[in-house]
Amino acid sequence: MHSLVEPNAWVAIKLPSENLRVLQLIPNTTISLGKYGSFPSNLIIHRPYHITYELEDKKDNETFNRLRIVPASELYSDILSSSSFLNPDSASPGPEGDDDAVADAIPTGVEYALVDADSGAVVAKTDRAELDAEARQSLTMEQIEELKKDVTDAGRDIITKLMLSHTAIGQKTEYSLAKYKLLKTKKYIRRFCVLPLDVSMLDYWLLEEKDPSKILDLREEMIGLLGCWANVHFGGEAQCMNAEEQEAAVNGANSVTKLEDSTGRWLVVDDTGGLLVAAMAERMGVLYPPEKGEDGINPPQKRRRDSESQAEPAEAEANSRSQAQQAEQTQPPMGSENTSGQEQILAKRVKYPTGDPRHKDDMAVPYSNCNTMTLIHHNSQPNLSFLRYYDFDNTNPTQSLEHPLARHLMTLSWLQLLDPQADSTYANEPANIDADELKTWKANRRGNYHRKRRRWARIRHVVDSTRGGGFSGLVVASTMDPTSIMRHAVPLLAGGAPIAIYSQTPEPLTALLDCYSVARRAAWISDPPEEAIGKTAEELEQWAGTDEFPLNPSLVLGAAMQTSRVRKWQVLPGRTHPLMTSKGGAEGYIFTAWRVKPAEGRVEARGKGRTKKGKSGR
Amino acid sequence: MGAISPFLEPGTRTKADSLAIVHLSRDNLLPVILQESKGEVDGYAEGSVINTRFGSFPHTTLINQPWGAQVRASIVDTGSRGRKRKIQEQETAPDDSEGAGSTTTPGQATPKGLETASSGFVHILPPTPEVWTTSLPHRTQVVYTPDYSYILHRIRARPGMRIIESGSGSGSFTHASVRAVYNGYPKSDDDARGKVYSFEFNEDRYQKMAEEVEAHGLKDLVKVSQRDVYNGGFLVDGKSPEAECVFLDLPAPWKALPHLSRSKPAGVEQDTPWISPLRSDRTVHLCTFSPCIEQVTKTVEVMRQLGWMEIEMVEVCHKRINVMRERVGLNMPTDRGSNLSPYDVGEAVQRLKEVESKSKEFHERNQGGENGDADVDMDDAPEAQKSNGTPSKSVNESKAPVASASAKPFMMGRLIHRTEPEIKTHTSYLVFAVLPQEWTEEQEAAAFAKWPCGQESKVIGKLDKESRKKEKRELLHAKSKSKRKRGKDAEAGGAVETEVDNEKEAKRSKPDPQVASS
Repeated sequence: MHSLVEPNAWVAIKLPSENLRVLQLIPNTTISLGKYGSFPSNLIIHRPYHITYELEDKKDNETFNRLRIVPASELYSDILSSSSFLNPDSASPGPEGDDDAVADAIPTGVEYALVDADSGAVVAKTDRAELDAEARQSLTMEQIEELKKDVTDAGRDIITKLMLSHTAIGQKTEYSLAKYKLLKTKKYIRRFCVLPLDVSMLDYWLLEEKDPSKILDLREEMIGLLGCWANVHFGGEAQCMNAEEQEAAVNGANSVTKLEDSTGRWLVVDDTGGLLVAAMAERMGVLYPPEKGEDGINPPQKRRRDSESQAEPAEAEANSRSQAQQAEQTQPPMGSENTSGQEQILAKRVKYPTGDPRHKDDMAVPYSNCNTMTLIHHNSQPNLSFLRYYDFDNTNPTQSLEHPLARHLMTLSWLQLLDPQADSTYANEPANIDADELKTWKANRRGNYHRKRRRWARIRHVVDSTRGGGFSGLVVASTMDPTSIMRHAVPLLAGGAPIAIYSQTPEPLTALLDCYSVARRAAWISDPPEEAIGKTAEELEQWAGTDEFPLNPSLVLGAAMQTSRVRKWQVLPGRTHPLMTSKGGAEGYIFTAWRVKPAEGRVEARGKGRTKKGKSGR
Repeated sequence: MGAISPFLEPGTRTKADSLAIVHLSRDNLLPVILQESKGEVDGYAEGSVINTRFGSFPHTTLINQPWGAQVRASIVDTGSRGRKRKIQEQETAPDDSEGAGSTTTPGQATPKGLETASSGFVHILPPTPEVWTTSLPHRTQVVYTPDYSYILHRIRARPGMRIIESGSGSGSFTHASVRAVYNGYPKSDDDARGKVYSFEFNEDRYQKMAEEVEAHGLKDLVKVSQRDVYNGGFLVDGKSPEAECVFLDLPAPWKALPHLSRSKPAGVEQDTPWISPLRSDRTVHLCTFSPCIEQVTKTVEVMRQLGWMEIEMVEVCHKRINVMRERVGLNMPTDRGSNLSPYDVGEAVQRLKEVESKSKEFHERNQGGENGDADVDMDDAPEAQKSNGTPSKSVNESKAPVASASAKPFMMGRLIHRTEPEIKTHTSYLVFAVLPQEWTEEQEAAAFAKWPCGQESKVIGKLDKESRKKEKRELLHAKSKSKRKRGKDAEAGGAVETEVDNEKEAKRSKPDPQVASS
């Protein structure tokens, strides 16, 4: 998981302007970053994440920009030297790092003073409080455009020129000069950083740069809270059902009894286009495909040795190649190692035919019985479009079973859950045809037949096992009324199962909480509604809801509501403060509770009512 | 390997010798290790008993219950046990007159001989890190759910990873992180699974932590070490934990940071070869947790010197919200919490008119209408009656929620929410940072050899207008081609469906790079 950048992986490229560019790294293409330049994708494939690169100037005999890894010491040189300038007597508390070379290169103390490279004269000094009102850039627009055309030295020269030709540069205070430099650096420096597009990054990108309303403004802190309060975690060793169990799964009764030993099944309602499902899958360890060539468990030593052993011949080759004319590289020099890279691409694109030999029996269900998510959706198909960033396409019938989500994510519609006989795919079993008759059919018709049979078996399994209940948790981020979701989902939960519901706005959740208010719970016991009298506990679990009691309040305990927001700070020597602006929009609220099993018969509460100090407010 | 921790897989029912949480009220949760009754405990014939203000609950009534079950209180003799013990000591004879049998058959929902009390109940919940955090015995400041949920998400603690935590403190973060990295118990010594490496300096807290880990069945998943990490570093038995995530809840994180380097940092004196506690082939994510801004400044400065990237400091503002009914209105029931002031202007005006007419009646009665003002009054009164009817009726007709006999008190009033009375305005500052893996020139050369450059076929990412147009043309061209092809197939009556699939495939693969460029 995110060891090196894999070919065809989705990555986020962070630009100096703090903007993200999300793209799929297709090998042998040129990645264009707009004004920050372009470079070959092969230069970041099979390199580590989180490294900052700088575009080098094109060499005379090459058609592309090479990349240079910018060391941390260089990235932080401004800040580090200014902090030692701020408090020169207090030596920095930690060890002096390996950035001595850089520290030497930059004269400490006068870091923001500008020295003209040609004359060596100090152009700008800091610590001037007053700023000339006439201060402005003396370069004209045309001149700057001209400079931009032939950027050299990764944009550093243009930044220097801009600063040198600012008329009031000498009058700026230290901080304003630093700010000016930072501003120009962000605009012109040709640097970028490759980040893995994990759930955290995807969420950040969707929130900040795409359409936050598509994911219901679901912020990271909310994803974290939802996952924790719903206790979403790896839910047991995933073993796929073996052959006998598969047969058993076909008839509903058996599959229901089996639920006893299946653990870690979560119920999800997701209107965030699959972001919530991805976040849960990440917590359950079923989002990322297992790494190739590794068993997924503790391979670091092995991998290190591999890369070292590879490195030696490669180095030799690289040396010999560099001795040869570099120009040769423009012609296809398909070395042995190159082809291995190409093969890898091809291997990735292989489609799994529908007549996969792994499907021995049409009635075989691919789903695991542990560590699964069951998604209930309101359209006939679920919207899980964001899962494509994790190479999973729910709508694709030929989706490879290699992807862990294929075995751990089940989907069904509300209709299939509540009234399965009304759903044609569930109710109508495709006729079972003899093997002999099948052989006479055309391949295409046969394929269709098998696909339909398999789909029917899948739906059958999902619906029956879901209606069997016993789920270990409920997670909701939906635009639908949470009260109606609770009415149908709570009976499906096992006792003690946590519930976590996200809403953009507080109102739906306050209405839900009101259904579980102390007064209502007390009234349910002391003065039960007519409809509830004489019903068994099982019947009361399926409470249809009345005006007075929209939900059965005794099925849920500890209903509470919370919100959380993260505030970002700027930490710079002498300039530490919260950021001046951040995103507004939907605040985001979370409802939490536990599913409980009320005792049969009348239950009397004990203890004094709420005292002034007692916090049993609800 | 012992039993699986109830934190990770609680099963469907409560078990003896396993942790369960007794839910008394919203903020009153009691962690209990359930014990089978093996005779008298602490003077109770029933074995271990939980006494609460909601009644007494012998453990036997709580064992083998489905999770989430509501359990009624039992009648337990709490008053006479001290006295009885004295008597027993004198007589040295067992007193069997007690109603409850001291040897109840285990595994029964309500053991024989235990009488259910007329009132009082609790719920029994499976332990989760969230419940544990609210109910755990405090040893230090606790890292609460809003903080740790965000931290674990940000430092990418996922199943199968190894995480370093220092110090253990009260163990709330330990429990949350073990849940995050859990991907099964190791089956052998070589079977490396997700694991928490927890370091605690304080001897007392270390002991408690080790006991807790043992009692919660987490021994194979959490390695607790007593260590001064400022000087001792993070190796366990001289070996690297191979951590990918680090959480430092220390007074001086900057003193521990040099030990979290990939190679020996300058300034650290060490004769033995450097072993990094970090996993070499992954980016390492780090979070420090410090209450003071000065700690943050120092930590961040050292982070920058040591080459940590993406440094970001945040604080989490969390609020719990109470939801209630705000009952305002003149004819609300005179309960606690009702505000008997007018619901709206109309109600206020009617009330005023009512008062006015009453005082008028009073004056008329007293003064007999001799006053000249009477004319004016006579004019006004019928008008008011015309528009509103009798004043007493009119109150009921106003828009305010009606307090009729049928309306339930829990449905009256306006539904509102407000922040809880006391909020935690500051817990700590969280500093996040990442340390990329080291990348040598040899590795770079090898990668370059494997992925040579110079034959780039097309441009992805931000495209200029020209190339975007070109791509669009190609796309349209391909489309019309496949359409024509499809037409041919349809005529031939061949496999239409597979063709459709192909086209879909083509559509899917083509626009991807475009979609990506925002």
